[in-house]
Amino acid sequence: MAMVMDLDHFPNFSYATASTDDGCNWNYWSPVVDWEELSAGQEDFHHLIDSMVVQDVVLNQSPSPSIYQDYNNSSPDYNNSSPEYNMMTDDETNGSDDCKGLRLIHLLMAAAEALTGPNKSRELARVILVRLKELVSPNDGTNMERLAAYFTDALQGLLDGTACGGKNVPGGGCGHQYKEEHHQTEVLAAFQLLQDMSPYVKFGHFTANQAILEAVTHDRRVHIVDYDIMEGIQWASLMQALVSRKDGPPTPHLRITALSRGGSGRRSFGTIQETGRRLTAFAASIGQPFSFHQCRLDSDETFRPSSLKLVRGEALIFNCMLHLPHFSYRAPESIASFLSGSKTLNPRLITLVEEEMRSPSDEGFVGRFMDSLHHYSAVYDSLEAGFPMQGRARALVERVFLGPRIAGSLARIYRACGEEEWCSWGQWLSAVGFRPVNTSFANHCQAKLLLGLYNDGYRVEELSSNKLVLGWKSRRLLSASIWTSKDSDL
Amino acid sequence: MFHPKQQKPSSMNSHHERPMCVQGDSGLVLTTDPKPRLRWTVELHERFVDAVTQLGGPDKATPKTIMRVMGVKGLTLYHLKSHLQKFRLGKQPHKDFNDHSMKDGERASSLELQRNNASSSGILGRSMNEMQMEVNRRLHEQLEVQRHLQLRIEAQGKYMQTILEKACQTLAGENMASGSYNKAMGPDISGMKDFGPAAMNFPSLQDLNIYGATDHLELHHQNMDRSSIDPFMHTNNDSMMLSKKRPNPYSNNSGKSPLIWADDLRLQELGTPAAAPCLDDHHQIQIAPLSIDRGSDIDSVSDIYETKPILSGDHHDSMGDKKFDASAKLERPSPRRMADRITNHAAISAGGITQGRSSPFG
Repeated sequence: MAMVMDLDHFPNFSYATASTDDGCNWNYWSPVVDWEELSAGQEDFHHLIDSMVVQDVVLNQSPSPSIYQDYNNSSPDYNNSSPEYNMMTDDETNGSDDCKGLRLIHLLMAAAEALTGPNKSRELARVILVRLKELVSPNDGTNMERLAAYFTDALQGLLDGTACGGKNVPGGGCGHQYKEEHHQTEVLAAFQLLQDMSPYVKFGHFTANQAILEAVTHDRRVHIVDYDIMEGIQWASLMQALVSRKDGPPTPHLRITALSRGGSGRRSFGTIQETGRRLTAFAASIGQPFSFHQCRLDSDETFRPSSLKLVRGEALIFNCMLHLPHFSYRAPESIASFLSGSKTLNPRLITLVEEEMRSPSDEGFVGRFMDSLHHYSAVYDSLEAGFPMQGRARALVERVFLGPRIAGSLARIYRACGEEEWCSWGQWLSAVGFRPVNTSFANHCQAKLLLGLYNDGYRVEELSSNKLVLGWKSRRLLSASIWTSKDSDL
Repeated sequence: MFHPKQQKPSSMNSHHERPMCVQGDSGLVLTTDPKPRLRWTVELHERFVDAVTQLGGPDKATPKTIMRVMGVKGLTLYHLKSHLQKFRLGKQPHKDFNDHSMKDGERASSLELQRNNASSSGILGRSMNEMQMEVNRRLHEQLEVQRHLQLRIEAQGKYMQTILEKACQTLAGENMASGSYNKAMGPDISGMKDFGPAAMNFPSLQDLNIYGATDHLELHHQNMDRSSIDPFMHTNNDSMMLSKKRPNPYSNNSGKSPLIWADDLRLQELGTPAAAPCLDDHHQIQIAPLSIDRGSDIDSVSDIYETKPILSGDHHDSMGDKKFDASAKLERPSPRRMADRITNHAAISAGGITQGRSSPFG
């Protein structure tokens, strides 16, 4: 079979700082993969894939009986590997891990290619996925192995057509469904862990909150419309900050309207009403004047600005947390309705937190697939770097949150494949006519301080005047940006 | 001549109690009355300095040109004349002020950069002061940000606590109702079903005393119906026992291990009799679900939430302010380290800032 793998489009898998460690097991994940070199051996790839299909093929003269059977044992003999991997054995210490990691990538890429490439073959994809599943497990092994397990599952979902039911299902429900299967205690434990082990959640919340605080310094009434309030923890720190403001007018009255999806039943963090009760109680405990409202989205999750209750003289804020690790993917149409709907109401501020993916030009599914792999690999690494020994805890977070996100991400990429150009929501806001609002020195400083409490590998960059981006090593992961509607004077 | 009480109702603040001085962020009192009083804030002064250096230095700039360049509404020639004069003269007072407040390292670095960037020695002294003031300001701002950050993180922690308490109550309710822990678990948690019965593990709760938990823990477990205890608690006890023997968790992580706030806070509260009985529930729920799979990894998992009593000692020593006690505990590394980080940040950004501001002087 002719499997043409066009390797020229794929980025170098290179992370900038391979040498700084501080306990970060960076070496397991090969720092440099030079695709150009690999593309020279395309015949070898054909051979490789053929060999994947047929069991127990010995590719080389290595004494180990089957390269596949030795995977789980991490046989040290593996360094005498097949010719196409010779370049990798220059990494002395973790050669075998690198090789396995590389092989997994090849397999994943092959599967993605088989699913959507010019020589589509569902049968081949199926076979490759079977092979992958034999090699990896979501609970054991290295980061790459666990990551590959989730990507395998996600691809399997795409193959079976069970992933999110296709194009027209609103709400992108697959991630949502995943979470529903978890017991509430597991979800809460995973959430607590996620917050303790990584700065993603706090970065998004605190950056948005700081911008909000700065925008409402003289207001007496603040109204926040929250697209996806989840468990409501973002507002705890905002309330605390409002209450402890020294200068300026007394603590403003805070009103939060949470958008809710109809009929989604009991969510992992409780219903919107419960979140509302919790926030009300918390506000009372710190002396923050507060009221909570709920606003239903339509059945197709469209936001209708007219369904909001507004009060004259209040500072209106639209808060849009999209891609924090414990969030599920939402349908783009819904998000668009929220953001464009906000424009009609002239909000003081729009706070947007979304994942930062490389903007692909025309990379197609496989390119975006690899980018997603790259993205989540960095997330996994960031967790491991801070908690190398706590594999079980990380596996829990991966199972409860990251795995579903991977599935959602791939489903989204798959659906969008071949459609209009991909752009981030920030770009969308800009195109629709929102004005950027500069992030302040205090905000940037807060982000840096926050990251300093975690691992050194985290970086915050100011990509543009209104956008802070959190990244791991050289990979950008999460961006927080601030906007205002053109007509409101900030 | 000098009427401290007289104030014009202008949009600019006046600060009549202060004696006349040329510090960037305090009031500037003009000795002749009829003119409106202007407060030279740091921002305003910054713009002034920017404009002056754009124009080629305090000797070349004139009040008129400065006014044009600054473009600040309400700023008159009179203000600028006087301020410029002071700016030209103003080396000595600045230096005294800054000697007290700058760290040597930062001053040295700003000096160094200044040496690299200044074009004339006449400017050198004055621009150094500007930079030092700027660094100062940034440093103070960073400290403020740090303080706020601590409080905000603490607030999130408190909020998480309410979520977990509610969940623990719900679970306890479910357990009571069903009478068997199998039902409370929910069908989808794999690996939970092989947890053993509760009873034999309970005495090990006493091991929790090492974390400062005292009577109410034992009281608690006496009250609970053992058969209905959340299954998490079983492995929790295992993990707590095992974790006691572990070496310092810091040795596991990189030197900059992240913070485990909320649970530290909870564990501190466990020591106080006033703590709600349910606290230890979610304390245990906190830890136990981590150890979903049994085996040697239980140790590593619970390490995340392990607290050494010595840490609280550290925290008490380093932060005397009661208000900050809770937030002090929230930090890992210790507040001292946080202060170090701030200093490093400040030093780095001081260098960065002075570099950034080098262009006006270039």
